[in-house]
Order: sequence, then C-alpha cells, then structure tokens
Amino acid sequence: MNRTREALVGLVIVVAAVVTAVGVLWLQGATWGRPQVEMEAVFDEVGLVRSGNAVKLRGVQVGRVREITVDPAGDLVRVRFRIDEGVTLPDQPVVVLSPESLFGDWQAEIHPRTRFPRVRFPEPREADVLPGHALPDISQLTAAADEISETMLVLTERVGIAFSEDTAENIASLIDNIEDVTTQLATLVEQQAASFTEVTDDLRQATQGIGSAANQARVTLERVDGLLARDEVESTLQDLAGLTANLRGLSAEMDGTNREFRELAAQVESTFAKVEGMLEVVEAGDGSLGRLLHDPGMAEEMEGAVTELQLLLADIRENPRRYVRLSIF
Amino acid sequence: MTERILAPFSTIGRRAVALAAGIGRWGMLTAETFRSLRHVDVWGRLLLQQMAKIGLDSVPIAVFIAIFTGIVLSLQASYTFTGAVPLYFVGVLVGKTMMLELGPVLTGLALSGRVGANIAAEIGTMRVTEQIDALETMAYPPVAYLVLPRVLAGIIMFPVVTALAIAVGIGSGWLTALQLLDMSTPEFVRGLTLFFEPFDVTFAFIKATSFGFVVTTIGCLFGFHTRGGAEGVGTSTTQAVVVSSMSILVLDAFWAVTLL
Amino acid sequence: MSIQMNEVYKAFGDVRVLEGFSLEVEEGETLVVLGRSGSGKSVMLKHIVGLLLPDKGNVWVDGQQISNLPTKELYLLRRKVGYVFQFAALFDSMSVAENVGMGLERMKEFSREEIRDRVEECLTLVGLEGLSDRFPAELSGGQKKRAGIARAIAIRPKYLLYDEPTTGLDPLTKAVIDRLILRMNRELGVTGVVITHDMESAYRVGDRIAMLYGGRRRFLGTPDELRSTTDGVVKGFVEGRPELLENAS
Repeated sequence: MNRTREALVGLVIVVAAVVTAVGVLWLQGATWGRPQVEMEAVFDEVGLVRSGNAVKLRGVQVGRVREITVDPAGDLVRVRFRIDEGVTLPDQPVVVLSPESLFGDWQAEIHPRTRFPRVRFPEPREADVLPGHALPDISQLTAAADEISETMLVLTERVGIAFSEDTAENIASLIDNIEDVTTQLATLVEQQAASFTEVTDDLRQATQGIGSAANQARVTLERVDGLLARDEVESTLQDLAGLTANLRGLSAEMDGTNREFRELAAQVESTFAKVEGMLEVVEAGDGSLGRLLHDPGMAEEMEGAVTELQLLLADIRENPRRYVRLSIF
Repeated sequence: MTERILAPFSTIGRRAVALAAGIGRWGMLTAETFRSLRHVDVWGRLLLQQMAKIGLDSVPIAVFIAIFTGIVLSLQASYTFTGAVPLYFVGVLVGKTMMLELGPVLTGLALSGRVGANIAAEIGTMRVTEQIDALETMAYPPVAYLVLPRVLAGIIMFPVVTALAIAVGIGSGWLTALQLLDMSTPEFVRGLTLFFEPFDVTFAFIKATSFGFVVTTIGCLFGFHTRGGAEGVGTSTTQAVVVSSMSILVLDAFWAVTLL
Repeated sequence: MSIQMNEVYKAFGDVRVLEGFSLEVEEGETLVVLGRSGSGKSVMLKHIVGLLLPDKGNVWVDGQQISNLPTKELYLLRRKVGYVFQFAALFDSMSVAENVGMGLERMKEFSREEIRDRVEECLTLVGLEGLSDRFPAELSGGQKKRAGIARAIAIRPKYLLYDEPTTGLDPLTKAVIDRLILRMNRELGVTGVVITHDMESAYRVGDRIAMLYGGRRRFLGTPDELRSTTDGVVKGFVEGRPELLENAS
C-alpha cells in the first residue's frame, strides 16, 4: 500500500463528495451567492406545485419555490419562495399557481391582483404574506368540459325530440302574442294607476281578482313551460287573452285610488316589466327560438316572476292597510 | 414408482433447506462481522488497502459503463419522445434514470462481478490453502482480518463510485444531447432540474450502500465456505457473482417498494 | 502433561473421523503421529490449537481445556503454539518477511526493529537468509515449507505442531527439514507434534511415535518399539505391506 494509492483513495472520495454536494445544490437551483429575498404566500390549495418549481414574474423566472407547508390551523397552505433581490413586484401582488406545461410541472406566477377580479383569494393574516390561488389543472378542466358536453348532449337530444317544424311556428306566434298581451298588460296597469283615485269598497274582491288573474297567468306560463310536451299553443293564447280581459274588467271595477295603491301598481308594473324583458330576450337573437333553448334559466325566471306577483297579492290580501289606507275623514 | 413421484418434491425440499441454510450462514457471518468491529487493531490498517482495491480500482469500469449508459439513455429518450414530448424531457429521463436506477444498479452489478468475484476467489483460495487457519493460529480473528475491512470498504466506496458514475453518466448524456440531438444546454438543464429532488440522491446512496454491503458480505460468505481446491474456488466465485447480482436486483426492487 | 487429548470424537456430517482418540505429549519431546492419508491426522492436530472443537471428549493444552476457553484466552494460548501447515499457508500478498513477522506484530510487544531482527534470525535459522523480500509465489516448495516453519517459530512458541512437514519434498530437503525439527527441539526446547506418513522422517525426529488408525490410537511407543511391533496394521503401514494390513483388519 504505497502513498500514491492512499492519496488516490482520498482523492476519489473527495471528488465524489464534492460532485455530489455541488450537483445537489445546482440541481436544487442554488443561487451561488446571488442575493435573494424570501417571501411567503398562502393558498387554499396548491395543486401540483413542489419545492424547486419556478417563480415567474411576467414570464421571466425570478426565483424558486423553497418549501410548502400546511398551516397549523389547517385551513391554508403556506408556500415559501425566494426571488432575486431588487425585483419590483406589481401593485397588490398575488401568486397564481398554474401548470407550466402539459407534463405536470407547475409554476408560481406573480401578478397584480386586478388581473383576477373574479378569483376569491384567501386573506393572509400577516401583512407581508401574499395571497395566492391555484388555477385548476388540466385534469379538472377536462372534467368540467366533460360535464358541459354531457349536458349539451342531453339538451340537444331533447330539442331534437320536441321541435318539429309546427311547434317552432307555434312558438314563434305565441311569442308575438305574449308580447301583445304584455304590452296590453302594461298599458292596463298604467291606466289603472291613473284611474285609481278612490278607495273602493270591494278592494278585497279586487285583490282576489288580481290573485286569480295571477293564478291564471301562472297556469298560462306553466303551459308555456310545458309547451314542448303538449301541443296546446292555441288554448294558451286564449288563456292569455282571457287573462287580459279579466284584468281589464278588474280595473273597471276599481274606480278608487290612493297613493299606496299607486305603489302596488308600480310593483305590479315592474313585475310585468320583467315578464316583458324576458320576452324581449326571447325575441332577441337568432329568431329567438335558439336563445330560448339555450337559456335553461328562462322558464324558471318566468315562473319566478309569477311567483313574485302571487306573493305580492297574498301580502295585499293579508295586510291591505299597508297598501291601501281608508281615508274616510 | 413412488420414488419417481417424490423426486421433484425432495429436490424442492433440498433446495429450500439449502437456501435457508445459506441465509442463516450469511446472517451469522454478518453478525460476526459487526461483532468484529471491536478488533480495530486488526482491521484498521487493512481498511484503506481494501478501499483502494474495491473502490479506487473499480472507478474505471464504473465510469466506462456510465459513459455509455448516458449516451444510450439520451439517444433513446429522444427517439421515444419524437414529436409528442418536448425534447427537454431527455434531461429529465437521463437525470432521473441515472440517479434512481442505472447509476446505482449498473455500478452495483459491475462491481458484483469485479469485487464480489475477487473477494470470493481470494478468500476461497485462502480457505483451501489453510491461510485462514494460519491466521487463526497466529491469533488473528479471520472475520476481523478478512471480512470486516472488505465489507466496510464496500459500504464506503460503493456510494463513492456510484456518485462518480451518476455524475459521469449525466455528463455524457448531456454531451450527447448537445452534440447529437441539437439540444441546448439550458434545455437539457431545465429537464434535469425540473423534477429533481434531493431525495433522489439519498435514494441512490441508500441503494449503493446496501449493494456494497451485500456484494462484499456475499463474496466473503462464499469465499469462507469454499471447499475442495481450485475447483471449489471456481465454484464459489461463480456463485458469489450470481448470488450477489441477484441480490442486487432483489434489493433494488425492495428499495423501490419501500422508499418510493 | 503438556498436551493431552482424551477420548476425542469428531465427525463431519456422516463421516466419522475421530472415534475416541487419546494422546498425551510429554514436555520437551517430539511425538510423531503416523497414519494413512485421510485418516484424520490433520483433524487431530487442528484440535490442539482449537481450529476444530471436539464433538465429544476434551483437549488440554498447557493446563487449559481448549473447548471451554473464551476466544480471548484461546488467542493468548495460541501464542504459545506454532503451527506449520502442510503447504506452508503463506499469505500470497505479503513478502516472506511480512509473513514471518505477522505473529509477532499481533503480539504488540515488539518494536518494528525488534520484529525485523527476529524475522531475520528465524529466516537464518531455517536457511532462508536474504530471501525476506521475496513473495511466496517466488519460492520453491521446500523454501515455502521452511518459511512456514520460520513463521511458526518466530513467536518463540512452547509447542510446535507440524502438519506433514516433509511430504512432497526431495530427500535432501526432507533431511534439512528433519534437522530443523530436531534443532527446534534441542536448541529451543520446543515440545513438538509431527504428523506424517513418511517413515524415514518419523524415525529421524520422533522421540515417540503414535499411529492413528480407524479414528483411534492404534500404537504408541518409541521408534524401537515400533520396529518390533507385532500388530499387523502397524507393521503393514510401517513396512508398506498392504496385505498385512488387510489380514489384520
């Protein structure tokens, strides 16, 4: 065992140790003395970000994620990262985690908060900690897209079943009719509001009348709702006409008015306005049919409007004084 | 007739007993090896010599293997990734594979041939020429004198050689990517650092250390139990290489199951 | 009563080698143990230094029972025993001098210079002066054996065990070795046990001669008694006449 061999053994060990140490530091992204500042951000969850991922500002890498820990309180994830000293952050900086590529590597980007107005960021307790948000990763997006496409499929199928040429025409004319009715209703209400100058004795009766009218309206709208199934456009239109007649008759009965009733009238008017607005929406777009089909909330909204009307009338029935004050004196 | 039916079973039985006995002998030798740590005066001055023999002398073969592994990994990765995957993933593949698998395992297998065979042959020869008995009569505990320095040298030097092999392998993969794949250094380095975790290195060292332990103890075991002259030495050497190579692969799977 | 074996049994698996072997070696004598190849002579000799332990029976050396001895004391006892191996068993990786000095180094009582002097002295004694830097592979068979003897005597043992010291050597070298054994005995006062199947050597060095046969001691006596024995087995072996042996057994 001569000296040279001994020295060589030592040399090999030292070289291996140095290579390992330098290699690990390098691969971990050591800065080799470049000054950096440590920062922290909190997240509801962090997706697939891991320590060592890039921290970017305007697309340029300025640092790396160092450590990810769950906050002791359990409701937040704390991510510590280092960025180069002297990097100026935007106003109200937030950290957004997102996939860097499609292959599972993530990044942390620093953005001004204003770029994400609709994202709800967790509010950090400490002043120097940034709020952060993890964007859904590709798998989540795929899942959502999947769901949407499934719904579309169901919808398309239903449309295919319900809509023949005839029903389409019927609905088109129905919509024209509904518009008419609504215009009539609106003018009627205006007339009523003007002519209600006195309190009538049969206010109660009147409200009941409105109630039944509203019921009728509800039935009518339900029928609209069910139109796709039942081919009763004709009778629906008759119903609407009847309803309008009813209301007109009602207004004739009510020959008195006061201020409170004016308010009631305004409310009724706004309700009808809503219905009208809805119908306008139906009208708009490509011949309106497609739009009706693409807005599943439409029927609900119509129904909601009627419900509102009914509630209003029920309220009038129960607390007429709130709306109508007897001015006998 | 019954004999013919029973023959395969008795073979299996004999093999099982032999395997159990072998594991038992290995366990006893290992235990004796650790007990021999107290004879520092015996093994202390032999350690460096064995480190040179087991570690230093193995560097060239390990580096040679690593160079070609790196080249092949790089080229095959790019071949596999064509089109679908960005080329910087060549860096990921070369780095991860060298660190987690090929660095430790190929080095281990190469050294099981070189070191395991050497140990088994040397100790086996000493056994059949009564040199081990001679050690005993001169009051040298044979395990402390022969086994312990080799096992310690294996435990210390396998990780050292493996570290060099990994570095060289990644280096050669990198050069290949640069020269033959039209990749740029930043691209390769991006792949290299992308999924790197310090645990990868720890994992490589755990593997290398255990391989060093297994290869040296198995070499010593077969050497110690050598019987019957030159032929016996030949048999022991072959068995040592076969068994330690198999143990490396089993251990490799074991670590992958337990640590990853 | 320096070395004593009482009713020693030893078997390797199914092969029973010693079956109640007993032997007593007197202080200062050289005892030759004869026996055919494979009769268990080496096994017997290895029991004396504790390289093998008896299955049954016991072995006493220098007043200590080998099989009960803790390792540490066994190692201390071994410093009193030199063992000359059949094929010398020199360490291939070491020079002759290193081989011879190994036992001394282990004793940790000597300085580097003392060891060097003692090694040189021992090599001179066996006639290998000037070969201390050679490696075993560079020695002839006889030189190896002499180097083995030098290694055994370097620690100044009280007992020397020779495992077939003259087997396979030319007559001249044989004579040299035999003389060496005698010198050890006469000049250093060493008690010796020599196992051999070489009758010439046996008569030359043995104060007493024993014969191992069938796992037991078949004969023990002076060389003269051996010459005049009537035991067919012993006579057949000594005179090299198989037919006597067959008749007797």
